[in-house]
Amino acid sequence: MRRFICLLVVAVVSALASSPVSAQVRADNAPAYKGPRTPDGKPDLQGVWQVLNTAAWDIQDHSARLGVPAGQGVVEGNEIPYQPWAVARKKDNFEKRLTADPIAQCYLPGVPRIAYMPHPFQIFQTPGTTVFVYEYDHAVRTIYTDRPHLPGHIDFWLGVSRGRWEGETLVVDAIDFNDKTWFDAAGNFHSDALHVVERYTRTGPDHIAYEVTIEDPRVFTRPWKMNMTLYRRQERNIQLLDYECNALAEEAAGRLK
Amino acid sequence: MIRRSLVVASAAAAVVFCGATLSGQSRTPDGQPDIQGFWANQTHRLATYNIEGAADPTHVFLSGNPTDETSLVVDPPDGKVPYQPWAKARRDDVFEHHLNITKWEHVDPHTRCFLSGIPRMFYQGTFQILQPPGYLVILQEFNHGTRIIPLDQRPHIGGDIKLWMGDSRGHWEGNTLVVDVTNKNDKTWFDIVGDFHGDEVHIRERFTVVSADRIDYQATFEDPKVYTRPFTMALSFGRAVKGAEAKSYELLEEACHEGDQDTQEMVHRLTK
Repeated sequence: MRRFICLLVVAVVSALASSPVSAQVRADNAPAYKGPRTPDGKPDLQGVWQVLNTAAWDIQDHSARLGVPAGQGVVEGNEIPYQPWAVARKKDNFEKRLTADPIAQCYLPGVPRIAYMPHPFQIFQTPGTTVFVYEYDHAVRTIYTDRPHLPGHIDFWLGVSRGRWEGETLVVDAIDFNDKTWFDAAGNFHSDALHVVERYTRTGPDHIAYEVTIEDPRVFTRPWKMNMTLYRRQERNIQLLDYECNALAEEAAGRLK
Repeated sequence: MIRRSLVVASAAAAVVFCGATLSGQSRTPDGQPDIQGFWANQTHRLATYNIEGAADPTHVFLSGNPTDETSLVVDPPDGKVPYQPWAKARRDDVFEHHLNITKWEHVDPHTRCFLSGIPRMFYQGTFQILQPPGYLVILQEFNHGTRIIPLDQRPHIGGDIKLWMGDSRGHWEGNTLVVDVTNKNDKTWFDIVGDFHGDEVHIRERFTVVSADRIDYQATFEDPKVYTRPFTMALSFGRAVKGAEAKSYELLEEACHEGDQDTQEMVHRLTK
């Protein structure tokens, strides 16, 4: 009899813990997190952040490869809606990825790849300006929230970004890209018509929900999305160091004494 | 050494914000004198060619025009970097060969799109100062160089880590930002003609806010492996963009390495 009760208790506890209904209710009823504010009253995103995923290698589901951890994709539905010609190009990129990846030439990784490189980045905020400084290649993005996009189209490796605040969310609209960067080391690519919309929403003291919408009518049949979490680095002494890719490559080649 | 640093840090912390302030100087929400905006070196046009000034026009001014520009070095008074003999020989070798390189050691790190280092970042184009709470951040347009200067007196990182822009710790003494830089690698130069420091250099910078449109900058370099004594460089920064225009101005991406064709030419030239 005692054994039966024990089993029953275990069964009930397990049912409660694993119930999809209870999880759903909790998520839906939980009040949206309202984080601290900057002196000018905007949601405070400042700090040192980093992803904990394998998107830099492959944004879709993938098994482990030599030097590449297995990973579940960050693409909604796991499918990238390439136009037919682009499917072939992606496949070709994948086959040549070890040399054709722009990262192999130490080029800036583009957007959003710079956000999910396996290096930390730091967000700073002043009124009208949010600056992202990335450890990788000392990349910088300045997100102005007080002005329109630049007139005309100039190609930039990291595009030109403009932001706006929607409640708790920093919405970044980025255009003016070149067609030379990839989304990952698996050959997923875009054209210079790329339009990226990023949404940064704090979901707690140490987490940012990062949602990216990719639009490029020359390469894809429809817009598509990526979702991931940015984690605040917890180490008391955390700070950005450096990863100077082209200098490291020159050093490895014996051309930097 | 650690104890002395702590004493210095504590003393410095005690005087933060206690010094004399300029009348009319606006402040950031965390109490820093507000020097945000776009700045550029305005006293030494040729600094990036030769910090010692117009020693030899053909070597210091690429257009060949003579100039009477003075040295950035204000101490020692002769305006010369106080190199040890071996270091002087290395610098002179670059000075003689920088227009006709015969080995990689002659090639200016800027030519190869490496970061500017300190203080070269201040005389290579426009830079932007931002003052988010607890920090002073400097963004350089050339090669998108960055410096993050925490103002909270945290200790420096471990000495085995070397960084291209060093490890900076700052605090305000009245209207002067005092920055202590360690952990600097030895791969950046002060100028095209090969003036340099080693990887044990200790840099002490002072940014003194003279007016809303002028910052006087001094940096003292101490490196017992390279110099016979510490020496000091000085220059002044002015607003690169003023007034209403500064509200809509922005630094653009200067992707130096991505557009670099010189390195491949040099590889061809130096390896044949």
